[in-house]
Amino acid sequence: MNLWQYILRRLFYIIPTILGVAFIIFVIFNLVAPDPALIMLGKHASVQQIQELREELGLNKPMWAQYLDIVKSAFTFDFGRSWTTKQEIISMIKQGAIPSMTLSVPAFVLSTIISISISLVVSFYRGKWIDKSVVFGCVLLMSVTSLAYILFGQWLFAYKLGWFEISGYESGFPDFLPYIVLPVIIWIILSIGPDVRFYRTVMLDEIYQDYVRTAKAKGLSERVVLFKHVLKNAMIPIITFVVIQIPFLILGALLLESFFSIPGLGGITLNGVYNSDFPVIKAMTILTAMAYIIFSVITDVLYTLVDPRVRLK
Amino acid sequence: MMKITSLLAALILTTGFVSCTKKNKDTGKTINIAVSAQIKGLDPIYANDRYSSNEVGRVYEGLLEYHYLKRPYTLVPNLAESMPVVSEDGLTYTFKIKQGVMFHHDAAFPDGKGRELVAEDFVYSIKRLADPKLQGLGWWLLDGKIKGLNEWRTKYADLPSVDYTEVVEGLKALDKYTLEFKLTKPFPQFLYSLAMPFTFAVAKEVVAKYGEEFLNHPVGTGPFILPQFTQTKKITYTKNPNFRKKLYPSEASEEFKAAGFLADAGKELPLADKVVVNVIIESQPRWLNFLKGKVDYIAIPKDNFDSAVTPDRNLSDDYKNKGIELLINPSLDVTYTAFNHDLKLFKNTDLRRAISIAYDVVKSNELFYNNTALPAQSVVPPGIAGNIKGYVSPYRGPNIEEAKKLLAKAGYPEGKGLPEITYDCPSNTVSRQIGEYFKKQMAQIGVNIKVVTNPWPELQKKITKRQVMLYGIAWGADYPDAENFLQLLYGPNKAPGANGSGYDNPEFNKLYKTASIMQDSPERTALYEKMNRIAAEESPWIYGVHRQNFTLRHSYLKNYMSTDFETGQEQYLNVDVAAKAKALEKL
Repeated sequence: MNLWQYILRRLFYIIPTILGVAFIIFVIFNLVAPDPALIMLGKHASVQQIQELREELGLNKPMWAQYLDIVKSAFTFDFGRSWTTKQEIISMIKQGAIPSMTLSVPAFVLSTIISISISLVVSFYRGKWIDKSVVFGCVLLMSVTSLAYILFGQWLFAYKLGWFEISGYESGFPDFLPYIVLPVIIWIILSIGPDVRFYRTVMLDEIYQDYVRTAKAKGLSERVVLFKHVLKNAMIPIITFVVIQIPFLILGALLLESFFSIPGLGGITLNGVYNSDFPVIKAMTILTAMAYIIFSVITDVLYTLVDPRVRLK
Repeated sequence: MMKITSLLAALILTTGFVSCTKKNKDTGKTINIAVSAQIKGLDPIYANDRYSSNEVGRVYEGLLEYHYLKRPYTLVPNLAESMPVVSEDGLTYTFKIKQGVMFHHDAAFPDGKGRELVAEDFVYSIKRLADPKLQGLGWWLLDGKIKGLNEWRTKYADLPSVDYTEVVEGLKALDKYTLEFKLTKPFPQFLYSLAMPFTFAVAKEVVAKYGEEFLNHPVGTGPFILPQFTQTKKITYTKNPNFRKKLYPSEASEEFKAAGFLADAGKELPLADKVVVNVIIESQPRWLNFLKGKVDYIAIPKDNFDSAVTPDRNLSDDYKNKGIELLINPSLDVTYTAFNHDLKLFKNTDLRRAISIAYDVVKSNELFYNNTALPAQSVVPPGIAGNIKGYVSPYRGPNIEEAKKLLAKAGYPEGKGLPEITYDCPSNTVSRQIGEYFKKQMAQIGVNIKVVTNPWPELQKKITKRQVMLYGIAWGADYPDAENFLQLLYGPNKAPGANGSGYDNPEFNKLYKTASIMQDSPERTALYEKMNRIAAEESPWIYGVHRQNFTLRHSYLKNYMSTDFETGQEQYLNVDVAAKAKALEKL
């Protein structure tokens, strides 16, 4: 099977996955979530108005028809309008995507590079004080709640020292920089602990393999072994770990967006949940599921590039 | 490793400089506001929360408004030329509207120039609120009140489209500048509806041009312009250059005169050039932005209360030195725990009184409101007619001994024979804590409470379906009239109406029916007070508190006061630019 056949076949999996996702969100929304008509009408809601609004929102349609609506919107990308803001959801997503990506892409890239670099260094010095100190530091970083970093960071660097804006967002480079750098730094600090521990474990797993011993026996230096052999062979778990996180970057970081008033997709999703705004929740869930499948395929393809032993079937 | 550190340091320094250079840009008369919730959009008929209605009020206007500097709250003409002529039977209201009022320029109008507002615009705007296809969230205001409007709404509910040209008997433009309302029954509170954003004037050309996106293209007659609204965290309004000649008031209540609120008397509105609304959902960044002078006023977040306000209710010196001022004003609201009067158990007045008098509202005020609220004696809050100054309910506690006696009198000595009583409340942390505290207090007299937390819509649903025993909730005034509170206990308003507890007292009902159609008068106030006493003595609810607003403002912000009806307020606000520049140096 060639590469393109494999990709096409994997992308076909989107169909059953979306049917399944549509079913799950349909069940959750109809059985668990509160009645959106009640939320939207507020304290003066009368039974008649609730009924009228339910009719207007399509909530009185038969169950199968509501399910089909979700499936249809998933395949046509026509998610309709938000029940709360009455805006087209696609345009809301377009508006929110850039601020989210402005935060999450640099934060993710930087945190990945920094974490892999630190992991390589500590693998090089495994068992030494530097390795122990970094592991201890990682545990320490992970032991503090993310909220503490945000609150302290905002208070110290933005309020007391005045290095950054406390919150807000301006579109366009470099206007967004004063708003984005602090949340990016906090994101990196939050990621470094778990990421370094993961990458270090992956690299140490490789270091104790036979081929490493062979390479060393051949007289290759520790540095060459580490960067040329170990890193290359550790790429499969690293790629899996990295690429699988990408779909969730679309949502940005809910907490960071909220505290730094970044008008991204995280806030849109969160408001959708608060307001039982089903079309918004539906759109974000389906898009995330699709992105997850697409990036899974990309992961598999990347495997073949980094490890010739991997075959696509 | 070193390279990465250097890179980060460089990035921090660069952005630090960028942020420093930005700091000095804003020197104009800009009002900086922070709000804690997302803005849904700017369509008046959907403005059912304070955040959206405040945004609507910057762009749109209504026939009436509250006088900015008078208390008690007083309605005055806004787009109306004068207060309406009311027929003797109290059923017909005739308004003359101001001539020469222009809508903002917009592509929806010929040549993009805003046209003159006419009486027909109000007919259209109010029909829009009643339009069954649009599901306007303020329909409750007019439901059953204007002759022929309900019939018009019902007729088009099942038809594919709505005909706005069809004449409604009670809603007519008699000529270009004359508007007539005919009511189905006398309802003096009707005038308050005309000061609420739901009934503000929109132009049908704009609605037609933007269709479903109308809420993102606000075009009104108001003091500020926002050509396009996007769901963002920062909304910037600019002064409407064609705003009609509207002047800052020259009269004020004594309290405002004394506080210097007349310094801008007679000046043309709006006084500021820009209004910037920052949506900051979390309280810490909102607070820090205020302390940095990037937000001009703020309701003190709960977590910062003790650092800002001393135990004797003064502002701490640290803040005073920074030119910050504290404003305290009572909020027109009441928190309460309602009994479900459908249940036989709670038809027992002595049981209700026993539970009510066992409740320690003073301690509760300390624990949950930083001791800033006023313990409620009955349903009507201070500040409006119907509240009895100095009145103390005989069934307000804490008085555990008296509660025990009443419980025994009710037939449940030491709680024996009482079933477990469920207490439903919203699922937020404070409501749950209040519930747990209530449970603990009731245990002192042998009443066994089980706290049930609910998402807000679920609680509403349970109340509507009568699936609760006791529930904790609050009510904020829609307009400054005791009727808006007393209706909560009026029998015929039983759930799904506003009377969620289902209290039904023939004497109370009779008084309400009489008073609710009376014009404001000492006689009506006497009836309101009588109802308020009944509501206290019969204990249909366990009364909580009337909350108070504790607000801070920077002293360079002129004319700002904390108010319950803040729609349109920013047109009166002014900024002392020189004082602001000095103040920012200290912050």
